[in-house]
Amino acid sequence: MDILLSSIVAGLLFGMVLAMVALGLTIIFGVMDIVNFAHGEFLMIGMYTGLLTAQATGLEPLLTIPVAAAVGFLLGVLCYFGFIKFLLRGPMIAQLLGTFGLMLFLRNLALLVFGSEDRALHHGVLVGKSFDVGMGIILPATKLAAAGLSVVAFWGIWILMNRTKIGNALRATALNAQGARYMGIPTERMNALAWGIGGGTVTISGALIVNFWSVNPFMGLLFTMIAFAIVALGGFGSVPGAFFAGLVVGMITEIPGFWDFITYTFNLDWMANVPMTSFKYMWVYLAYFLIMVIRPRGLFGWKQ
Amino acid sequence: METIKNALDFSDFPRLDLIIAVLVLVFLLLFPLLPFSAFAMATMIQFLMFSIYGMGWNTIGGYGGQVDLGKAQYVGIGAYTTAVMLIRWDIPFWVSMPIGMCLAVGWSFIIGYPLFRLKGHYFAIATIATSLVLKALFEVWTFVGAARGLEISPIKYDPPDFLRLIFKEDVYYYFVILGFFILGIFYINWFRKSRLGFQLRCIKDNEAVAQSLGINVRWAKVKTYAIATAFVSVVGSFHACYIKAIEPEDTMSLDISILIALMAMLGGAGSLWGPIIGAGILIPLKSYLKEWLGATAGLVGIDLIIYALIIMLVSAFEPRGIWGIIEKIRRRRRK
Amino acid sequence: MKPVFKFIGVLLIIGLIVPGSALAVKEIKIGAIYPLTGGAAAAGRELRAGAELAAEIANNVMADINMSMAKNGGIKSMGGAKITIIFKDHEGNPTLGADLAKKLILDDKVDGLLGCYHSSVTKTVSAVAEQHGIPMINGTSTSPALTKRGFKWFWRTTPHDVWFTKDLFEFLVGLSGGKVKGVDSFPKKELLNIASACENSEWGSFVSALIKDFAGEYKFNLNKSLLYSAKAPDLSSEVRSLKAAKPDVMMFASYTSDAILMVKTLKAQKVQPKIIWGQDAGFEKPEFRSTLGDSIVGILTRTVFLPKVVEIKPVAGQVNKLYKAKTGNDLGGASARAFTGLQTWVHVLEKAGSTKPADIQGAANAIQIPGKELVVPWAGIKFSTSGGEIGQNTLGSGLIGQYQKGPDGKLVLEIVYPFDVASADMIYPFPQF
Repeated sequence: MDILLSSIVAGLLFGMVLAMVALGLTIIFGVMDIVNFAHGEFLMIGMYTGLLTAQATGLEPLLTIPVAAAVGFLLGVLCYFGFIKFLLRGPMIAQLLGTFGLMLFLRNLALLVFGSEDRALHHGVLVGKSFDVGMGIILPATKLAAAGLSVVAFWGIWILMNRTKIGNALRATALNAQGARYMGIPTERMNALAWGIGGGTVTISGALIVNFWSVNPFMGLLFTMIAFAIVALGGFGSVPGAFFAGLVVGMITEIPGFWDFITYTFNLDWMANVPMTSFKYMWVYLAYFLIMVIRPRGLFGWKQ
Repeated sequence: METIKNALDFSDFPRLDLIIAVLVLVFLLLFPLLPFSAFAMATMIQFLMFSIYGMGWNTIGGYGGQVDLGKAQYVGIGAYTTAVMLIRWDIPFWVSMPIGMCLAVGWSFIIGYPLFRLKGHYFAIATIATSLVLKALFEVWTFVGAARGLEISPIKYDPPDFLRLIFKEDVYYYFVILGFFILGIFYINWFRKSRLGFQLRCIKDNEAVAQSLGINVRWAKVKTYAIATAFVSVVGSFHACYIKAIEPEDTMSLDISILIALMAMLGGAGSLWGPIIGAGILIPLKSYLKEWLGATAGLVGIDLIIYALIIMLVSAFEPRGIWGIIEKIRRRRRK
Repeated sequence: MKPVFKFIGVLLIIGLIVPGSALAVKEIKIGAIYPLTGGAAAAGRELRAGAELAAEIANNVMADINMSMAKNGGIKSMGGAKITIIFKDHEGNPTLGADLAKKLILDDKVDGLLGCYHSSVTKTVSAVAEQHGIPMINGTSTSPALTKRGFKWFWRTTPHDVWFTKDLFEFLVGLSGGKVKGVDSFPKKELLNIASACENSEWGSFVSALIKDFAGEYKFNLNKSLLYSAKAPDLSSEVRSLKAAKPDVMMFASYTSDAILMVKTLKAQKVQPKIIWGQDAGFEKPEFRSTLGDSIVGILTRTVFLPKVVEIKPVAGQVNKLYKAKTGNDLGGASARAFTGLQTWVHVLEKAGSTKPADIQGAANAIQIPGKELVVPWAGIKFSTSGGEIGQNTLGSGLIGQYQKGPDGKLVLEIVYPFDVASADMIYPFPQF
C-alpha cells in the first residue's frame, strides 16, 4: 500500500511541476502556431539563472524566482524579435528546423559558458528537507513548493488570459491573427508577448526545479519532449489542458511504481524482473503517439 | 526499359549543372588516389552516407513536404539486422541488408498508416515520438544487446571480406558506399519523374486539389515514406559493417534524425542535388570545426554554436536552402 | 638553373636530411583518448593529469622518486627518446573514439594508444588498434569482456569487474563471519537481501550480470536488479523501486553525476539499508565527496587506490605529493591507474628497445613489473598470454574502502578489505542519513 500511495503522490507532484514547464509551450503555440524545440533549453537557462543568482547573492533560492522570470521574459522577447519573427515567414519545415537550431545554439552556448558538469544547489530553506506524512509518503519540501507555485502560476496565467484586456488580445490573435489585426490588435507585439510569457513561465519552473535537480547543458531535450507530450494531450493552446495533462503525464512516469505495487501485493516474482524503470519515459512518448493518432485535439484543445 | 531510361535521363537539367555533376563524380572516383589524410577519407565516407540518408528523406520530406524527424529508428533496424545476422548466423551483408530493408519497410507501413492521419507539426513530433519509443525498446531488448549494443569482432573474419563487408582499410568501404550513392542518384532521378513523384508534388502543393483529382493521398504518402525508409536502412546496414559496434544511443538517437532532415533542408529540400549539397557542406564543416576549435580548452562547443547559427540563418532567411539560393540567382539572371 | 646552384642545392638538402636523422633523438608518440568533456569530464581531467605526470617523470631524471623510470631521462634503450602524449577527447561516444583512433594511428602515426576509461569506448578503439596492429594499453576500463575477445594488440593493467565483484561478496561473507575489523560476527540471514542498480552501458550492465551470478554462487537473495540511464535527471522512481525490495545491501555501478544523484535521492527518500556499496567510478570521485559532504559517511566503495595507500607504499606518497602540487587533489583510482598505464608503456618501451609494433608486442607479453615500482598496491604487472583472458594483468587486486570522518573532521577513505590491511574499524550498519 505504501508503494502505491507514494507513487501516486510522487506522480502528482512531479506532474504539477511538469505542467508548469509545458505551460509556456502551449501559450506560444496557441498564439502563433509555432513549435518551439528550444523550450527545454529555456528551462535549462532558467535553472542556471536560479542557481547562479542564489549562489552569487547568497539569497534564498526561492527568492530568485523574480530574477528568473525577468530573464525568461526578456529572452523570449529577444528570441522573437531577433529570430522567430523571420521564421514565421517561411514554410513549416524551416520553422521546425529553425527552432531546432535555436536549441543547439542555446545548449552549446550554455556548455561554453557553464561547462558540462552538473551543478546543484546545496543551501536554501527547503533544500534537503522533507515531510514524512506516514504511510510511506515522503514529500520533499522543494517539490512541494514547486508544485504549489505551479498551481499559483496556472491560476495567474488563466486569469491573465481570460480576465484581462491583454489576455483577450492574445486569445484574439491566437484565434485569428488577421482578424485581430483588423480590430487594431498589434500582432507583432502579441507574438512577442506570447514568447515573453512563454519564456518567463518556463524559467520560473526552472528556478524552482533547480532546488531538487541538478542542471547541466544537455538536459533540455528530455523536458522538451515531455512538454510536447503534455501539450498534445491537453490540447495545443489550452491552459487548463496543460495542467491536467501534466498530472496525467506525471502519473505515467510513475508506472514503474504501480508495477512494483502489483508485483509485491500479489507476489508475482516474474514481474520483478521486468525492467520497468528503463521504460519510464517511453510510456510518455507512446502516450503522445496514441493520443495524436486517436484524438489529435487532445483533452481540451480547440485547435486542430 | 522505360524505367531505366528515365533513371538515366538527366536532360532536363541545365548544361552547367550536368558539367559540375560530372566533375564532382570524377573527383569522387579519384579521391582515394589523392593524398588526403585518413581523417579526410572518414569524413568523405560520412558525407556519402549522409547524402544517401538525405536523398531518402528528401522523397517524403522534400518532394512530399512532410517533415519526418524520426528516421533514426530505421537506421537502427537496418544496422541491427545486419549485425545480428552476422554475429549469430554468419549471414553476409548482401543478404542481411535486403532483409533489413524489408523489416524496416514493413515497420514503416505499420506505423506509417496511422502516422499520416496527422499533418504539419503534429506529424513531425509524432515521428520523433515513434523513433524514441523504438530506441527505448532496443535499449532493454537483450536479443540485440540492450543498451550495450553489439560488436562485430574485427579479428574473427579475414579482411578483405567482400561478402560480409569487413575491411581493414577505409578505401573499400568508400567504394561500396560510393556505389550506393550513385545508384541512389539514379533512383531519385527516376522517382521525381515517376507517377508517384508527380502525385507527391501535387499533394505538397494543395492536398485538397490532389484528393479531388482522384489521388489516394494517404497511400501515396505511405509509399513514399517506405521508400525513404528503404534508403535509410540500407545505409544503416552499411554503418554496422563500417563501425562494427552499434548501440541505440549511437545509432538511433534524435540527433541523427534531425541531422538527416537538416542536410536535406540546408541543401534544398525538393531538389535532386539539394541533400548532396547539404551533406557536402555540413559534414566537413562539422568534422573540421570540431578539429580546429573543439579541443581547445575553453572553447568547448564553439563548433556546434557556429553550426547552430548556420542552421538558424538558413531557416530564417533562405528556407529553400542553398539550392533555393541558386535558383533565385538564376531566375534573376534570366530577367 | 646554373649547375653551381644545383650542386649547392643538393648538398644543402643532403646536409639537412642526413645529420638530421642521425642526430634527432627520437620522439615516441602515444595517443591517449579520454573523456575530456561530457558527463565524465571530471574523470577525464584526472586521467589526463595522471598520464601527464607519469610522462613527466619518465622524461626527466627525478632523484626523489623511487621508480626506475625516474632514474632516466626518456627511454634509455632508445637513446633517451622522450614520450609525447597526444590527447584526444572522445566525449563518451564510442564512434567518435573509433574515428579518433583511426586519426591517431593513420594521420598522427602514433606508436601506441592509451585509454579510454569508458568501457564502451575502449571497446571500439581497441578494435581499431587490433585491426591496424598498433599496441594499446588500457589502464582504467573494467568490463571483463574487453580481454575475452582474443585480441593480440590489447593489454589491460587494471583488474576487472569479475575480480572486484567477487571481492565484495567475499567481504560480505567475511563481515557476518566477524572477519572485518571492528565488527563482531552476526547471523548471515541479517544480511541476505540485495538490490542493485547499475548504469546501462557496457560497464554497468556487465556488473549487473556479475552481481546476479555471484549472488547465486554465494547464496544471497538478489531481490531487485535494475539498470538505469547514467544521463537521467531523476532517479526517484528507481530508488522507490529499490526501497520496495527491502534490501539489506544496496549495490551500485554509477558514473559521477548519477552516483551523486543516486545518493541524494536515497537520502531524500530516507532509504535505510545496512550496507551501501559502489563499484568505484562515480563513488570515488572528488566531486562525489565535495557535493555530498558528510552524507557519504558509511558508504563503501570498491577502489584501486586511496590516499591511505600512501601509508603502506612510500613511492605512492612521493608521486602523490607531485600530483597534489599539480592538481590540488590526491591521487584517485582513475589518476593512479592512468599513471600506471603510462608507466607500463615506459617499461614496455624500455624492454622493447624500439617502436616497431612486433617488438612492443613481444615486450608486453614478456614483461614483469614488480609491485614496488607501482603506486597502486598490486603485486605487480604481468600479462596473461594464454587461456581465455589474453592481455589481462594477473597480478592486480582491489580494495574496498569506507568513507569515514577523520579526527580532524575531514572525510577520509579507510581501507576495510582485504581484511589484513584494514586501516580502521568499519562502521556497521550504515548510519542514518
